[in-house]
Amino acid sequence: MPHCLVTCSSKIFCKKFYPTFVTYIYAAVKSKMENQELLSQFQALGMSEQKAKETIKNANVTKNLQLALSEVKNTALGEGVGMLLYHMASKIKPQIIHELPLVTRYIVEKKLDNTLRVDAALEYLLKNIQKKGAVVNTKEFNESCGVGVIVTPEEIERTVQEHIKLHKDMLLEQRYHFNAFKIMQEVRAKLKWADAKSVKAAIDVEIFDLLGPKTEDDLKPPPKVEKKKEKPSTSLADKSSNNAKLAHPSNVSIDSSDGANTIAELMKNKVHFHTPGENYKTDGYVITDHTERLLKEHLKQTGGRVQTRFPPEPNGILHIGHAKAININFGYAASKGGVCYLRYDDTNPEKEEEKFFVGIREMVEWLGYKPYKITHSSDNFQQLYEWAVVLIRKGLAYVCHQGADEMKGFNPKPSPWRERPIEESLQLFEDMKNGKIDEGTATLRLKLTLEEGKVDPVAYRIKFVPHHRTGNDWCIYPTYDYTHCLCDSIENITHSLCTKEFQSRRSSYYWLCNALEIYCPVQWEYGRLNMNYTLVSKRKIAKLITERIVNDWDDPRLFTLTALRRRGFPAEAINNFCAQMGVTGAQISVDPSMLEAAVRDILNISAPRRLVVLEPLKITLINFPHDKPTEIEVPNFPQNPDAGCHHILLDRVVYIEKSDFKLDPEKGYRRLALDQPVGLRHAGLVIYVKEVKQNPQTGEVLELICECKLAEQAEKPKAFIQWVSQPIKIEVRLYDLLFKHKNPEDTNEVPGGFLSDINEDSLSVLESYVDRALSNVKVYDKFQFERIGFFSVDPDTTENHIVFNRTVGLKEDAGKK
Amino acid sequence: MSSIESETVALSEMERLTAHLRTQIEQTKRGDGLEFEEDEEYVKLQTENTKLKHRLAILNKAIAAEQNAHGSTAVIKYQPVKLPSTVNEMISITEHLVDLFTNAIALAFPNLAGTQAIISPVNATAAKFGDYQCNSAMSLAKTLKAAGVNKSPRDIANEIVKNVAPSPLVAKTEVAGAGFINVFLKKDYAVHAIENILRNGVKPPACRKQRVLVDFSSPNIAKQMHVGHLRSTIIGESICRLLEFLGHDVLRINHLGDWGTQFGMLIAHLEDRFPNFLNESPPIGDLQAFYKESKKRFDEDEEFKKRAYNCVVLLQSGDANSTKAWTQICDVSRQEFQKIYERLDVTLKPVGESFYQSRMIEVVKFLASKNLLEEDDGRKIMWADETSSGIPLTIVKSDGGFTYDTSDMAAIRYRLEEEKAEWLIYVVDSGQSTHLQNIYRAAERAGIFNPKIHRADHVNFGVVLGEDGKKFKTRSGETVKLSDLLDEGLKRALDKLLEKERDKVLTPEELKAAQESVAYGCIKYADLSHNRTNEYVFSFDKMLEDRGNTAVYLLYAFTRICSISRNCGEDFSDLVKILDNRTKIELEHEKEWKLAKTLLKFPDVLVKISKDLLLHTLCEFCYEVATVFSEFYDNCYCIEKNKSGEIVKVNRGRILLCEATAAILKQCFFILGLKPVSKI
Repeated sequence: MPHCLVTCSSKIFCKKFYPTFVTYIYAAVKSKMENQELLSQFQALGMSEQKAKETIKNANVTKNLQLALSEVKNTALGEGVGMLLYHMASKIKPQIIHELPLVTRYIVEKKLDNTLRVDAALEYLLKNIQKKGAVVNTKEFNESCGVGVIVTPEEIERTVQEHIKLHKDMLLEQRYHFNAFKIMQEVRAKLKWADAKSVKAAIDVEIFDLLGPKTEDDLKPPPKVEKKKEKPSTSLADKSSNNAKLAHPSNVSIDSSDGANTIAELMKNKVHFHTPGENYKTDGYVITDHTERLLKEHLKQTGGRVQTRFPPEPNGILHIGHAKAININFGYAASKGGVCYLRYDDTNPEKEEEKFFVGIREMVEWLGYKPYKITHSSDNFQQLYEWAVVLIRKGLAYVCHQGADEMKGFNPKPSPWRERPIEESLQLFEDMKNGKIDEGTATLRLKLTLEEGKVDPVAYRIKFVPHHRTGNDWCIYPTYDYTHCLCDSIENITHSLCTKEFQSRRSSYYWLCNALEIYCPVQWEYGRLNMNYTLVSKRKIAKLITERIVNDWDDPRLFTLTALRRRGFPAEAINNFCAQMGVTGAQISVDPSMLEAAVRDILNISAPRRLVVLEPLKITLINFPHDKPTEIEVPNFPQNPDAGCHHILLDRVVYIEKSDFKLDPEKGYRRLALDQPVGLRHAGLVIYVKEVKQNPQTGEVLELICECKLAEQAEKPKAFIQWVSQPIKIEVRLYDLLFKHKNPEDTNEVPGGFLSDINEDSLSVLESYVDRALSNVKVYDKFQFERIGFFSVDPDTTENHIVFNRTVGLKEDAGKK
Repeated sequence: MSSIESETVALSEMERLTAHLRTQIEQTKRGDGLEFEEDEEYVKLQTENTKLKHRLAILNKAIAAEQNAHGSTAVIKYQPVKLPSTVNEMISITEHLVDLFTNAIALAFPNLAGTQAIISPVNATAAKFGDYQCNSAMSLAKTLKAAGVNKSPRDIANEIVKNVAPSPLVAKTEVAGAGFINVFLKKDYAVHAIENILRNGVKPPACRKQRVLVDFSSPNIAKQMHVGHLRSTIIGESICRLLEFLGHDVLRINHLGDWGTQFGMLIAHLEDRFPNFLNESPPIGDLQAFYKESKKRFDEDEEFKKRAYNCVVLLQSGDANSTKAWTQICDVSRQEFQKIYERLDVTLKPVGESFYQSRMIEVVKFLASKNLLEEDDGRKIMWADETSSGIPLTIVKSDGGFTYDTSDMAAIRYRLEEEKAEWLIYVVDSGQSTHLQNIYRAAERAGIFNPKIHRADHVNFGVVLGEDGKKFKTRSGETVKLSDLLDEGLKRALDKLLEKERDKVLTPEELKAAQESVAYGCIKYADLSHNRTNEYVFSFDKMLEDRGNTAVYLLYAFTRICSISRNCGEDFSDLVKILDNRTKIELEHEKEWKLAKTLLKFPDVLVKISKDLLLHTLCEFCYEVATVFSEFYDNCYCIEKNKSGEIVKVNRGRILLCEATAAILKQCFFILGLKPVSKI
């Protein structure tokens, strides 16, 4: 029977032991029957049917609850005991699951008679296990959860009265607007184990006693911002009953709503990681004989400071996904007053180029972060090697001669060298180090099975390649799996933050640190951020470059960070975008439009407005009202005249956007047509078409001859449009999505491969006209071209040739018009 | 016309082509454009080549490392030390235990064979932790842990103890605390060793005999000796006595400052003052005053200065008259010095700087032949090492003269090559440390000094301060004359004795002997009992105190110990006879045992001093013996008397212990230069 108690894992279990079809069915039927039984059992505890069904879906809670039930078999449960058991089952952490019988017994015996005490009991036990094999000290345990402490109504009344007295003046002044929760807190601080409802009731009675019934004023909303109408008793109860939802099986600890507006806000309000040094309280953390000592030493070295790291491989360039990692690591450290390392994970000797090192650092700094220290995994090669020797000596690692192909695949053959003598592995490992063994014919493997089933991951392999930092020192190089956690440990990282794919490596991470008896950081995972309509793989971008589809790594159609910078995305917008995505465990795929919206939010308030004509159409004003060109003062931000202004020139010849004139306007068209005038923005003129000059062959409109009226004398036109006079020519590059499909790498969506999915029109180059006022721009200067979009000066700009990139259009669909 | 035009066009076209080809050729020569030829085979071979080069570098390094390791393992290959099965004399217990436990470690942990055991004596007040402790387990645990073996120090200690061979010195060993090994000495050994002292006298611990040259005192001719020279003289003398006791062949060298430019002015002045000096010895009563006079003239009189320089040249070229004048000046000075040496009971062989005149010329040639000299602004300098860092030695001045660097180089060469000394000891103040380091290194560079066979020590010492904590001076601020200082010592010692009314007990001869013993003893002892590397405060009041670690206290204590056998009413003049009459040293009483163990430390102390040349350890040992003895004497009757003062019982074994104590102290006193007197 007990085999199938675990509903979720029972399938795996069965597969292993009854690998026939018949037993499958048997198991399925059986588990359905089990569920029926469970349902009634749970309901017997006092749950509603709905709640019981929900609970069964949560394998973990169900398992715990069943364990508790098996403890109390045949005992009649007192009032409320069932729900306390449920509360306990939903909150108990795996580290202290062995103490479940104890807590269950205490609940049944009514020693723990409310959620407060149950929580205190669990907290005590969790703290206690930091020392491995520690025995629960019954006396301390009882004390810390207030077993047997009875708070009499008289005691409550007396304490409440005392505290009401303290606040009497304020109470009389503010009456019912006084925040009674404060008194509640004070009383609870004094009488830790007092029943919350009784305290609340006592307070209400005492206040009523003092103030009498509520007057009309009392019922009005409070005069100032103080809107907090506290209902402490109910909120406490709510919290405890909702706690079931918070018991996540993975180390992802996030509130229900995911995002925030800025990273600082996100880290402050939405992320709940452990406090440094309380590693042992996190789910899945493995406690050994050394944990307590190592954590103590760790705290001594860090002073309790949060330490994170951003560990990119220095063999490519950073993309939007990295932005999330940078923001989480640097942002979390910053929000806690901690520090964040920039660690180049340079364990792989191949293809590490200086430009990548510089580029990574530049991008981190561009996003506004400063690494506490810049380190390299290769700094630790010697230590990593010595630790590998220690592992061999302990019989935890061995030299294996299986080829890479033999180790791959679904069910690889177990290594025949797994049990070779320690001395032999030591000698062979030294030979590997000394270059005596051919590349590919020996690896060092750890005796460990990963969650995903991978057996004995490789820790070291031979590569006869010089390393750009260690030169000819090594020809064995450690793997990511081996290096990563050990470098974290060396740097005393408190929170090793990584993407969800690495959740399955967490156990090997902990195993390795514990095997070496070194400080073990806590790994927390968050979901990857994927961008649709693009790809970020280094190899594939390189392919795009060699195929001349894009120009370079920073082509603004890509989503590398350098590309985004070049396109004109402000760093702040990228950071805020990451904040909006949150730090949930879920993998997120978003369209570029989400990021663009964040960019607009920033540029809208920071990019000054300019009049620019992308595709010019010449207009001659036959009755130009001035005898020479006149200068017009134009505000940078029309909504905010205080934010400065610039001057533009108005002359007899002006240029407007070609698309702002139509020979055959459709219904509802508001701009210039043969019989429809239009206003020139900021110029104070309304123009009327008098003559259209066309190319006789193509019918293309070449020039318009117009009459103009001063705006105050003319009827108000339906629209105002942008224009320029005596302009200078600039180059404008307009970008569109590079791929036609959402997931260009998905062969279901794009059978021909990503190269077949290129949007041929992703780049268009225009020769456009701007006012002379724009002749002195600097690279990365950003403007809003009125009625068109946001633009940024491209690094290709020279003194005589200005190039603008369109960052984003004004509205989401502006690009399509 | 048109043909000319077309010709011109054709020609310019050809010129253009030529220019184009020329640039192409240039580019090809530079290799431009060639790298784009991405031949797959070529790239593959290039990668392969990089890999092979890398592997080759790794293999070469591994070979080098292995060769080094083999070289050193050959040396490390541990041969257990042979230890004697019986020991009947005083030996260095620490050395014995180090060997014993080093062997045990090698047996218990063959991988770590050769790791030397760490042995330290246990403070007598903590006797329950044994007499000595082996503290190796902690560091071994660390070494093992680094090699991946986790073993608690206590387990390691237990394994070592299991492997300790039986020793005639060790009664038992036990593991205590975190992994300390406590060693308890065997009483049998103590009894045998002490009987051996009584039969054969105090013998030094065994050691390899060496030829040692001690350069000490070394005052300058024509100048007064001052307290700095006093320190060098006292420390140097004691070091010589210690090394001689240990059996070394000791050369006591007084490196007199008897050469140099100052002699020019002295000779010139002598010629003026005593024109007849060639025929009769000039009566220079006060050489100091004579020196001052000549110096004054030298500084003020240009004419005199020129003559003085001239005299130097004459002297160095061996001019007979100048040499005679020089000899006369030196003689006066040397006689002055000798008086002081006699008072302090110091023996020295004068080998002054002048002795090296010819050798300086030689050494310059020698260094030049080895290409070690460099021209520098007219001077010839030598760097102490290849890196040309630090301060160079000036071997030849721009005027062709020599410097201290030259004479010291000549001296070190003479001492090592001609005197065949193996061990050089320079007893010179701490200020000379850099200079001496330079000399050793330069000598090593020149192939004169070989650290593998030679040892050189700078026995440095700090300055002497007055009681005011400032540099030791007379009240009027002048340098204290050494003879005056000794005179004052005598006076103070006498005052002290009179204060104690010793004049009423002692005969005038005895009183004088006591006075000198106390006076010179306390000056020497005060100097030696301080760690020489520190500065020390010279205070007659302190050194004449009869309590604490002072010469006076020790001299009294010694006299008292000697008087015990004298007053017991039996004849203890022939100790061998008494021992043969089956008188046994028992060491039953705890204080007897403690005293015996203290005495047995004597060889350890000497071995330690022969390594660090810090004599204050010996003073501390004397003081410890004296205090432990008085503990013993307070607790254990040697002579039992009845109420009327008649001797009832003589505890002969204990009196033998007193005699052994006296013998050890006497030997220590000799090394320290203390002269015990029978009555005080």
